[in-house]
Amino acid sequence: MNKYAMNGITLMQYIFLIQGAQVGTGILSLPRVLAENSGTDGWVNILIAWGINCFAGWVILLTLRKYPDFALPDLFAHLFGKWIGKLLLLPLIAYYAFFAWIIMINTMLFIKAWFLPKTPGFLILLLLAIPGYLVVQHGLRVQARYAEFVFYLMMWVPLIFLATLKHGHWLHLLPVLKEGWEPILHGLPKTVFAFAGNEVLFFIYPFLKKKQYAVHGMLIANTMTMFLYLYVTIICFVFYTPDGITTLNQPVLSLLKTIEFRFVERVDMIFLAIYLIVVSRAWNAYIFCTVFSTSFLFKKQDHSSHTFVYFALAIVCVYLVKPTWNQTEHWMTLLSNAGMGIMYALPVLLLVYTSGFEKYRRWKAG
Amino acid sequence: MKRLLILSAVLLLLTMGYKDKVDIEDISLSLLVGIDLDEENNLVFSSSSPVFSKEAKEKEENYVTEAITMRKSRDEDDKTVMALTTGGKTQVLLIGKRVMQHQDWFKLLEPFLRDPKNTLNVRIVMVDGLSYEVLKYAPKDKPRLPLYLSKLIDTAAKRNICVKTTLQDLRRATFEKGMTASVAELRKDGRLFVTGSALLDEDGRYKLSIEEEENRLLRILQQQTTGEFQFTYKAADQPRGKIFPENAYSFYTDDLSVKMKTDYADDKFKFDIDVKIRVVLSELMFPLDVRKEDKKLAQEIEQQFEKKFDKLIKKVQQAKIDPFGFGLHARAFQYQHWKPVQKRWGETLAKADVKVKVKVDIAAMGTTK
Repeated sequence: MNKYAMNGITLMQYIFLIQGAQVGTGILSLPRVLAENSGTDGWVNILIAWGINCFAGWVILLTLRKYPDFALPDLFAHLFGKWIGKLLLLPLIAYYAFFAWIIMINTMLFIKAWFLPKTPGFLILLLLAIPGYLVVQHGLRVQARYAEFVFYLMMWVPLIFLATLKHGHWLHLLPVLKEGWEPILHGLPKTVFAFAGNEVLFFIYPFLKKKQYAVHGMLIANTMTMFLYLYVTIICFVFYTPDGITTLNQPVLSLLKTIEFRFVERVDMIFLAIYLIVVSRAWNAYIFCTVFSTSFLFKKQDHSSHTFVYFALAIVCVYLVKPTWNQTEHWMTLLSNAGMGIMYALPVLLLVYTSGFEKYRRWKAG
Repeated sequence: MKRLLILSAVLLLLTMGYKDKVDIEDISLSLLVGIDLDEENNLVFSSSSPVFSKEAKEKEENYVTEAITMRKSRDEDDKTVMALTTGGKTQVLLIGKRVMQHQDWFKLLEPFLRDPKNTLNVRIVMVDGLSYEVLKYAPKDKPRLPLYLSKLIDTAAKRNICVKTTLQDLRRATFEKGMTASVAELRKDGRLFVTGSALLDEDGRYKLSIEEEENRLLRILQQQTTGEFQFTYKAADQPRGKIFPENAYSFYTDDLSVKMKTDYADDKFKFDIDVKIRVVLSELMFPLDVRKEDKKLAQEIEQQFEKKFDKLIKKVQQAKIDPFGFGLHARAFQYQHWKPVQKRWGETLAKADVKVKVKVDIAAMGTTK
């Protein structure tokens, strides 16, 4: 009997959990990062990165399919034994915990840079933490409902961007592949990381009710993310000149700043405030993975106390460290290196190990 | 539930003291900002903010300060202005011609670009003269100057008398290698006049001024065909008339389409531009049976147009600038040839062949025959 069936999630919820984990603050600066590395052909990158991530997600699911009732901690315990399994889990916990923290810090820095420059960072984090705690403490089903609801609630937001199209020059996109493939491949590592989020599959897969649609759901989630990135990137490329887009830190927000409606002047402010709700899905997902694992380590059924501790620690850390933009960017790079391992190397290793493991067991039993 | 209440109480306590609170009474909105260079090449900043007070007789406070940068000038302003100066609502940025004659003056606008609190939608206007002179202008028959000025620019741009360039547009044109910037031009001659547009070169230096007629042609070549395009021409084959002009006629465009072909041959860029215009006559000073002789009139208009387009293009090529954005087309369609010359596009365009072909259709003659 699946011990997670109690908290089972539907396919839609599964899709939006993955998609929510993928879309974070990275999108705000993504067009610049792409333009820096690959010029106006950067958008091609998104398509390639999408392909790579779909493949990686598929590999993750190949492994998980063999153990439909196991989340990553159970899987590790099963494969490597109780103690080594727990030991191997530790770096992963660190990764998920740090990832969630980085997303929150990034968001905090955005808020500080764009509308509350003098408010201390830990206070902003506290404001983010309270709703986050209320959602995460209740287990995955509540969180999944939240993720789905937020998606429907925010569907209209991308339409704002269309208001800038009348100032756009589609000519900026031509010629396609102006410098060949080399600069595109050069920018790939960063774009690939923009899709980070597939690794929550390790934790949410056992909760999925209809496991036969796991691959479909993962593909749909990745495709939605891809279309969102593509949409925002192309609009930014059309609006900004290819020579000038690299001078902006967050082209997406700068773009919104130029929109003026009769009834509202600073669309960027409103957008950022609303977008917080979208990003909250990302850190919630990673925090869930973190506290789920730590509760497993301490053999606790309920992870709400760990969630509380996590948020408290996150706030205290921000209070003590007072992260700056440059620090955070540096941490991001470290994290993306670790992410490469967890998103791509770990699934492959696990797949190879499990097939060997199963063969060994069968051989031993037979 | 109890925990929630405690939490929200704590929250309330914390946020009450948050430090970004600014009361609207404490803000002085610089609706107009001016930048000038005086005779000794010192930068002079000026600003105009509305005064919301029943007791004040003048409803506008104007300050002129010398400072090294715009942010520094805010310091100077705050020493005397009633409240804290902010640039979040600036409507028009007036820049003196003397400033624009120097390379890289665009850097002065840095605080508007860097500080997210400031607006990017401020209109950029070049003043033929001193911008603080304009700022001090307080007409009796107009609303307060910032409102009047922004309205003036917007409506003039609607009729295509000048271009409307916001800071965002200017930033785009400054970074873009394939296009040079153009801004509206203003002169104070007792009253304020929008005289047309000022064209800048790749380093942002002022190069030449164009008036409304050429401005309309500029807009057509930029493929920006919104707004009204009205032209008044004089027919070559009609007598001039003694007192009243007997050879003049006016029309406005009903529909405009611009197609461009970019080629490269004999070490030269070639731009073939096809302009199709459907015109509606709005004034005809000489007798002409439009029903029968519309072809003749259309031909006449075509010739006039082509002549004027050629003149404008020659002028621009001589100044080695590209306000039309032909460079965008060169990059998009002839990237191999564009790449080596992108840093000196102005010079390259000066050598390029630009041909404009105009096709005119007379769509309507109005209510009289």
